[in-house]
Amino acid sequence: MAQKANPIELEVAVVNGVELNGHWNRIFEPRVISEYDLSVLDEVTAIPGAESLAYCYQCGKCTSVCPVDVVGDYSPRKVFRRTQLGISLFESEDLWLCTTCSDCLRVCPKEVNMISIMPAVREKAVMDGNAPQELLSAFENTARYGNPLGEPARKRADWVKSAGVPVPIMNQHKAPVDVLWFVECYPAYHPRGKEASVALARILHALGVDFGILGNEEKCSGDSQRMAGEAGLFEMLAEDNIKSLSKYAFNTLMVTDPHAFNAFRHEYPKYGGEWPTLHYTQFLAPRLEAMSLTVPIDRRVTFHDPCYLGRHNGEYEAPRALLKAIPGLELVEMGRCRENSYCCGGGGGGMWMDSFTSERLTMRLSERRVKEAVEYGADILAVTCPYEVSRFEDAVKSTGNAGKLKVLDIAELLAHSMGLVTANI
Amino acid sequence: MAVDRLLVIGAGPAGLEAARGAADMGKEVLLVEATGELGGTPYAHYATLTPHLQETHDAMQEMLDGVKTHPAIDIRYNTRVVESEGQAGNFQVVLESTDGTRATEAVGAVVVATGFTHFDPGRETQLYGYYEFEDVITLVDAEHMMKDGRIVRPSNGQPPEKVAFIQCVGSRDRHIGNRWCSKVCCGIASKQAIEIKRMLPNAKVFIFYIDMRMYGFWEDQLYWKAQEEHKVNYVRGIVTEILKKGDKLLMKGEDTTMGRPVEVLMDLIILSVGMEPSKGTLEMANVFNIPREDHGFLATVGEPLDTVTTPVAGVFVAGAAAGPKDIEDSVSMGGAAAIKAVSFLNRLSKSLA
Repeated sequence: MAQKANPIELEVAVVNGVELNGHWNRIFEPRVISEYDLSVLDEVTAIPGAESLAYCYQCGKCTSVCPVDVVGDYSPRKVFRRTQLGISLFESEDLWLCTTCSDCLRVCPKEVNMISIMPAVREKAVMDGNAPQELLSAFENTARYGNPLGEPARKRADWVKSAGVPVPIMNQHKAPVDVLWFVECYPAYHPRGKEASVALARILHALGVDFGILGNEEKCSGDSQRMAGEAGLFEMLAEDNIKSLSKYAFNTLMVTDPHAFNAFRHEYPKYGGEWPTLHYTQFLAPRLEAMSLTVPIDRRVTFHDPCYLGRHNGEYEAPRALLKAIPGLELVEMGRCRENSYCCGGGGGGMWMDSFTSERLTMRLSERRVKEAVEYGADILAVTCPYEVSRFEDAVKSTGNAGKLKVLDIAELLAHSMGLVTANI
Repeated sequence: MAVDRLLVIGAGPAGLEAARGAADMGKEVLLVEATGELGGTPYAHYATLTPHLQETHDAMQEMLDGVKTHPAIDIRYNTRVVESEGQAGNFQVVLESTDGTRATEAVGAVVVATGFTHFDPGRETQLYGYYEFEDVITLVDAEHMMKDGRIVRPSNGQPPEKVAFIQCVGSRDRHIGNRWCSKVCCGIASKQAIEIKRMLPNAKVFIFYIDMRMYGFWEDQLYWKAQEEHKVNYVRGIVTEILKKGDKLLMKGEDTTMGRPVEVLMDLIILSVGMEPSKGTLEMANVFNIPREDHGFLATVGEPLDTVTTPVAGVFVAGAAAGPKDIEDSVSMGGAAAIKAVSFLNRLSKSLA
């Protein structure tokens, strides 16, 4: 069971009848650490996967790259230190602020692995009922409907109707395909996600790719639910998806979502589901010569590397190769790009904890990123992770940049240049 | 006529290696040791060696036997060098044994390997109360307990539940006059922390430090091992005061990574005392007129390329007499001093032949 840490500072102090929160009452009262209650650290590091939290030697390299610390007071170093001081990580808001972007692990000399620590510790907190309600709702939706948005499972393939090109659904197609496209939830349901799916479907059709989708048999890949602490739900989804995919013959699994890409590459093989898997940018990049990119896009475009395509899986070039091939397009790199790319805030369950995190941070991560894109003079922020279009479009509005910056999926930009769609460039 | 014989003063790791090296190269060696035992400070005080934690007496036995049984090494136990006259090629040194007997010996060159002494925590400007509180001990006291295979609170003989090491006691302190890092204490504290956790797996062990100085392989051999495998807790910040509270020790300082004062109760506090020149080292500076460098240890010329040659012709130094050294440094210097001293004697005998 989670143990309550001895409070070492008052959450709220009342001074002359005025309530002051922890940041303020520090000024009025001396703060003394009176105990190193190691029971919490021991409890956390006893969890398989969370051992390396105690490896931290406080160098602080993670703090400068942590996307959350830029807009708040959180970094792996601080998490270790607070835990060492006896503050229960199971009950701390720290537990839910990590987006599992993996930039800390990239720089950590001791290989303190938050990508392994966070899901392990969160799993216990979820089981104890100590998770933000909105996250639990997303889990519930996923369990019930197969998608975190809470959309009906039977409408998962509805977007196909607006594709304007044939999008074969495997259980009706009754034939092997070369490419099985795993569409994922946001590209199947979210209005802006669907637009990118339509664009990608038209590109595949134009290229003459023999492809199909699972349609209503597809369920959420579950990777972000796993990172957010729902390992059981993830296993269930993995088993269901593997069962569905195993029914069909195909050569390549193509995925839209880098989170699904991560699951298929690293997690599904543990459950017996192993297929040659490509992110759609990796599938398209070698086919550039066959793509007729004729409509120019005379815009300054910057690219946001998705954490789960870049840092987690090492793919930085394919999206750039596609963007550079578009006539008229000028690609500008932001300061934080490639290995050091900033996180949109959607990973690790962040997608479903917007209220929780935005109350605790000075700015959403997506807003910070949009500001960076604007600082670099971009007209278009190109993305290739389905979490990002909606996150960044909201952030464009909330930061007062409406009209200055467009957010478009690479598939939309390609399809526009191929004359297959008219994107809002 | 040059005397083709080498005097080695001090039979710790540096002196032993110097004596064995010179004897193996064919010189007569007179090895003078102030105590009744070979092996120096590690052999006398340390239960295990850093970083590999071998039992000290086992680990050093071969080295000791090699010197004891060497036909070319003449060992004088319980003996100090009290006077020296003459010069390189013919030093007339007066030896005095603990029973007061004096003897004069002729040697051509000298290796001083008289080592260090542990800092006396009574001189610490902080208020650690070493002489006041039984449960405040030093690294050396802890080693003595470990030689008996136990670690307890001296006040009541019970195993401690919470143990804190305080680093840099007597080191890195302008106020005390010791402007140096003693080099080995971070490693030894980490080594002892591992040993305590092995003996008392439920004990909470903390190391309070300014910065951990784990040069070379000690980083993962000791520091990472202690932290990752043995769950030793490292806290940046140095304790400024120890008070008695009930039957426990109240440790006050600042936890600098949190930027807050600390007042924590401990059962046993181990002071990581550093190195100072030993009494023998200071005596040899006088006997042979060896200048002392800025920090008070024996000066060498040609640093960093010559670590063993002193400004006095024919007099060499090895080990912690020249500054803070670990055992590896000391043994390496012993070998280097043997080579320099033997070649010095060889040159003398050629030029005077």
